[in-house]
Amino acid sequence: MATIFIIEDDVKIRNELTKLLEKYGYECESSDDFSHMSEVVLRRNPQLVLLDINLPVYDGYYICREIRRESQIPIIIVTSRDNEVDELMSMNLGADDFITKPYNTQILLARISSVLKRVYHSEPVNIISHRGLELDVSRSMAHFEGSEVELSKNELRILRLLMCNKDRIISRDEIMNDLWQSEEFVDDNTLTVNINRLRKKLDGIGVHDYLVTKRGQGYLV
Amino acid sequence: MKLGSFLKDKSISIIIAVLTAGFSATLIYVLGVGGYAAGFVAGVFLLGEAAALIIEYFQKRTFYNTLLQSLDKIDKKYLLSEMLDEPLFSEGKILCEVTKLTNKSMNDEIAKYRLASQEYREYIETWVHEVKTPISSSKLIIENDKNNTTRNLNEELSKIENYVDQALFYSRSNHVEKDYVIKQTTLKELVNSALKKNSTLFIESRISVETSALDKTVFTDVKWTDFILGQILMNSIKYRSTDPKIQIYGLKNENSVTLMIADNGIGIPKMDLARVFEKGFTGTNGRTAAKSTGIGLYLCKKLCAKLNLGISIASTVNSGTIVSIVFPKSNMFE
Repeated sequence: MATIFIIEDDVKIRNELTKLLEKYGYECESSDDFSHMSEVVLRRNPQLVLLDINLPVYDGYYICREIRRESQIPIIIVTSRDNEVDELMSMNLGADDFITKPYNTQILLARISSVLKRVYHSEPVNIISHRGLELDVSRSMAHFEGSEVELSKNELRILRLLMCNKDRIISRDEIMNDLWQSEEFVDDNTLTVNINRLRKKLDGIGVHDYLVTKRGQGYLV
Repeated sequence: MKLGSFLKDKSISIIIAVLTAGFSATLIYVLGVGGYAAGFVAGVFLLGEAAALIIEYFQKRTFYNTLLQSLDKIDKKYLLSEMLDEPLFSEGKILCEVTKLTNKSMNDEIAKYRLASQEYREYIETWVHEVKTPISSSKLIIENDKNNTTRNLNEELSKIENYVDQALFYSRSNHVEKDYVIKQTTLKELVNSALKKNSTLFIESRISVETSALDKTVFTDVKWTDFILGQILMNSIKYRSTDPKIQIYGLKNENSVTLMIADNGIGIPKMDLARVFEKGFTGTNGRTAAKSTGIGLYLCKKLCAKLNLGISIASTVNSGTIVSIVFPKSNMFE
């Protein structure tokens, strides 16, 4: 489980971000000690740092430089300033990625996982399991009691989203939004087709009624 | 300077010269010096006056003609004072002095406004960045607590975000040259990023999107183009019909690449079509179908012009609108 250190002075954003990232299986840490931020980060030694630019005491660039002096922890800079100079500066200071606020959360999650994958050469969450069904994300396979089935790209994303949010209803819009972020611009009909195929495949390996339809609300596993 | 108007200006001095000459001649004649002497004196008087006038005329003509010619040649008329050679006669000197002074005073005035507008622009930019923080925290809050209410709020937030972006780009649009980087990219990257950014609105509006033939390389500034595409897509969403569809595809021409964004929306009436790029123009659709600010397409046109992209729009009422953006192919990069 990867630990993410969030450096952000807006408490609300920090809390909500923590909630969001924890839902997607990351552990989060943060600190209010803005005058010794880089020392705190280095002591905690997280797998990834999310860094805001506008901070009290020292700005994000300074902290980025201080961290880089000691460590190669991946850093993603998150800022509301969005001109090319800021991006260039972030990259020059050794940041791994640069995202502008207000970001689409799916994009943020995608960037985090791709940076983690690049730096640690591994998928952060490889196998997700729920109610006996195991989803192997890196091989795009679903296992259940010894039998397995290969999933298409869309089916994998749908099942992953549902399993990451187990016991919670996920609306069709959310599923579509997730697929859109992987550049599959599916419409309503295509989603229905994908869901039906996914159900059929799960039926094929003996998992029955895994995807529960909640009328007018969405799906649930 | 015309001879006629010069003589008219000098009419009093001519009349006085003629009168004095006449008076002297008469006086000499009455004193009995002789008719020839009288005529001679009058002639000398008049010749002297004529010579003085001719010299003055040419002097002034040279000065004023040069002045008018240079005024004609320069496109920034207020720079005239920099081009004046100070003449020998005092009227010209006064003119030079006056133009220089008024020019300087206008420069000061312009500088004042330039400063004010720059300060305003900087304020807008800071404001936009400030307001983006609460927008992102609101979005995160919604993300963590999804229900029908928050989903609706999310849609409204996306609209706010779009308007905020519009304000930022509007304030920047006069200074595009200070903040752009031309990069190599593909139509696919540009379109995908614009679609991803606006995904919530697309999905909420149940628009099906079809992309094809987008694997074409173009050179442009990604951020500005992304904004332009966003505005166009936003219009397709705003003016959608029932069962909305958008087709996005690329066309390769000899010297350019064209990106086509075609929707099956309500279309634009013919009489409005020519004016859609005008600032503040809302048209029939803007008044009846959706609220329009008349800024989106105006900004698109302006930014396209600055980025050297072509933009045009074709539409039929009730069957759809096609926006095409032409990316010129530069030989420099090949």
